[in-house]
Amino acid sequence: MATVHATAVPSAAAAVTLRGVTKTFGETTAVTGLDLTIPRGALYGFIGPNGAGKTTSIRLIMSILFPDAGEVRVLGHASALEAKDRIGYLPEERGVYRKMRVAAYLTFIAKIKGVAPRTIPARIKTLLDHVGLPTVANNKCEELSKGMLQKIQFAAAIIHEPDLLILDEPFSGLDPVSSRLLRDLIVAEHERGATILFSTHVMQQAEEICEHVVMIHRGAKVLDDPVSVIRNRYEVRALEFEPLQPGFDVNAVLALPEVESCRSIDGAYEIALREHSDSRAAMQRLIATLPLARVELKRPRLEDIFIELVTGSESRDAAHDLRAELRAGATAEAR
Amino acid sequence: MNRVFEIAKREFVATVFTRGFVIGLLVLPTMIALGITVGPRLFMDRAFRVEGQILVIDATERVTPELRTALTAGTRSADLAAVTRAARGDAAANVMVMEALGMAPKLTLVEHPAGADLEHEKAWLRSAEPGGERHLALAVIHTNAVEPKPNQKELGSYDLYLPPRPDNRVEIAVQQVLRDAIVGARLGMRGLDRGTINELVNVPRVQSITVSDNGEQTGGGGFALILPAAFMFLLFMGVMGSGQGMLTTTIEEKGSRVIEVLLSAVSPMQLMAGKLIGHMGISLLGMSVYLVLGLLGLASFSLFGLLDLSLIVYLFIFFLLAFFTIGSLMMAVGSAVNDMREAQSLMMPLMMLLIAPWVLWLPISRNPNSTLAVIVSFLPPVNAFGMLLRLSSTQPPPAWQVWLSIGIGIVGVVGAVWFASKVFRIGLLMFGRPPNLATLIRWVRAA
Repeated sequence: MATVHATAVPSAAAAVTLRGVTKTFGETTAVTGLDLTIPRGALYGFIGPNGAGKTTSIRLIMSILFPDAGEVRVLGHASALEAKDRIGYLPEERGVYRKMRVAAYLTFIAKIKGVAPRTIPARIKTLLDHVGLPTVANNKCEELSKGMLQKIQFAAAIIHEPDLLILDEPFSGLDPVSSRLLRDLIVAEHERGATILFSTHVMQQAEEICEHVVMIHRGAKVLDDPVSVIRNRYEVRALEFEPLQPGFDVNAVLALPEVESCRSIDGAYEIALREHSDSRAAMQRLIATLPLARVELKRPRLEDIFIELVTGSESRDAAHDLRAELRAGATAEAR
Repeated sequence: MNRVFEIAKREFVATVFTRGFVIGLLVLPTMIALGITVGPRLFMDRAFRVEGQILVIDATERVTPELRTALTAGTRSADLAAVTRAARGDAAANVMVMEALGMAPKLTLVEHPAGADLEHEKAWLRSAEPGGERHLALAVIHTNAVEPKPNQKELGSYDLYLPPRPDNRVEIAVQQVLRDAIVGARLGMRGLDRGTINELVNVPRVQSITVSDNGEQTGGGGFALILPAAFMFLLFMGVMGSGQGMLTTTIEEKGSRVIEVLLSAVSPMQLMAGKLIGHMGISLLGMSVYLVLGLLGLASFSLFGLLDLSLIVYLFIFFLLAFFTIGSLMMAVGSAVNDMREAQSLMMPLMMLLIAPWVLWLPISRNPNSTLAVIVSFLPPVNAFGMLLRLSSTQPPPAWQVWLSIGIGIVGVVGAVWFASKVFRIGLLMFGRPPNLATLIRWVRAA
């Protein structure tokens, strides 16, 4: 299994530092030897399939769980317990007091997060406006839909304007409109200056929002790099094209030295290139072979990179199974 | 500390400012009032009447005439009422006894000679015709029931045979009638007048006067018995009510996953402390309401002076000891399970502990300095109940035992809170198969 490490950030400048963190539950190792440094002000995505160890890692950062080995530092403290007022947290399994009214619930959370009481009403009003629910303050939580509740929970996570915001699968269960709103809110928090770490198993979401991605698989880190670096580092292994006219000679394409296979996808075609082949040369040869309406280099997605990193030299079946596992998780989420 | 207070406040407000709590608080006094006013009317057999035939084989030939006279002249209930009225000097007793005994029995006497075939007569018991008079009983009066046999001192009695599925009220009424008739026959044989005898054996019962520092009060005898029970009830209500509340709210918070949101803001110890303090407030409120009602009741019956007010101080001290011990353990159970059903098996030992004082109430309050009472008052967490029972009894324990019990209680609280906090910290985020006791101990070691 390949592992890529980011450039070290001095721990004083880091919002979160994990060094050799290991956590086991009985005979199951949830996290093993995890090293991670998140600089202040960064927007980090923590990605991996279900059961990879993301939630356990986040709970370790939050000091909800404690490591069996290794060190955790959060906002310059030896434990998140010492900086809870500066951390916002939206857990994966989230809930509210269903019988409480929205304003009372947010007031309670604000108070235990150390917000000055006199500022709480105005803060609640602003937040409810921001999440698009300006009229629900006096509703009981149980009267709200699941999507509305998730917005309230997000509001509760940022009500104290945290320096570090940790979101565990924040998009799960949201419809596309609410997902977009939440994405905008996360970006707004980042622009405010908050350090953000969010986990997801839907890699496309991380790809769209994050500056930096940490991939985790079976409790171990497999990638830790800026998204831009990842894109540049991993070679293009595919071209996508649309022929000008249908009924072209596929054999002519397959005869090109860089081409490993060619398949049709929704009216277009995808060419898989051979390992270490020159993608630009392949593109020039393709243009010379066929009249094309469109051709582009197809950059590897995080999902592809993840699968390549995890399966390495293992069989295609292993890669196929992992891809299916990732997509099954994403599909279940969408449902 | 502010966070602990906020959590305590939320627990208090979420419970107290609900219709359920107010109704719950009123339910008990309402039930007691109903029990006093409506209960007797519901449970008394005023409409029931023993009616039917009794067959008597009287070898003495002296009991049957007494029976015949008794069954035609009057009823047992009327006699009892008259006796009681005479004893208490209370006209209301007539109505009370009549109500208690129900309607007077209406019995028809069937007389058979002494030489009758017993087996044949037994068949009579099962030969009643549908719709006809019921065959209630067959009585065989012994030959020595009225006078002893020659050279013997013991008097005999009678044999009583009943039909299948006998009603015990019928049996009691028939036995009473036969007893009266035999006593009447015995008195008659000796030339004694029954009315005179009744008057001679009757000594009216008097109301005792309790002399206390606050003067003299009548009717204090029952007070001494009721007081320990009342204090134990208050203690039980305070501990159990909130213990149950802590269990259910912890399970709810865990089930609704709000617990992780809370743990992102406070530590498990702060959360546990906040919940304990909040529920302690709820219990103190409930106990105070009942205590004030009880004191008002005592004042209205002029019995206030019989209460040693230091008992109220001890009530609150022992409440705190029992509450923190039982409450923290209840919360530990709540944190370890996924729903109420799973909590049952872990709750069982705690429930047994809470039931023990009720079982021991009478022996301890009757003999508050017995070995059993002393041992119970030193065993946490039941020591709070045991010592409070002893303190409210007629023979309070020596002061050193009270202080030792409090000291042991404090050690018990520290141990229970320590154990519970370890389980609480791990259990809150554990889902799936519920733990058994061995798992809980493993968690405590791991935490």
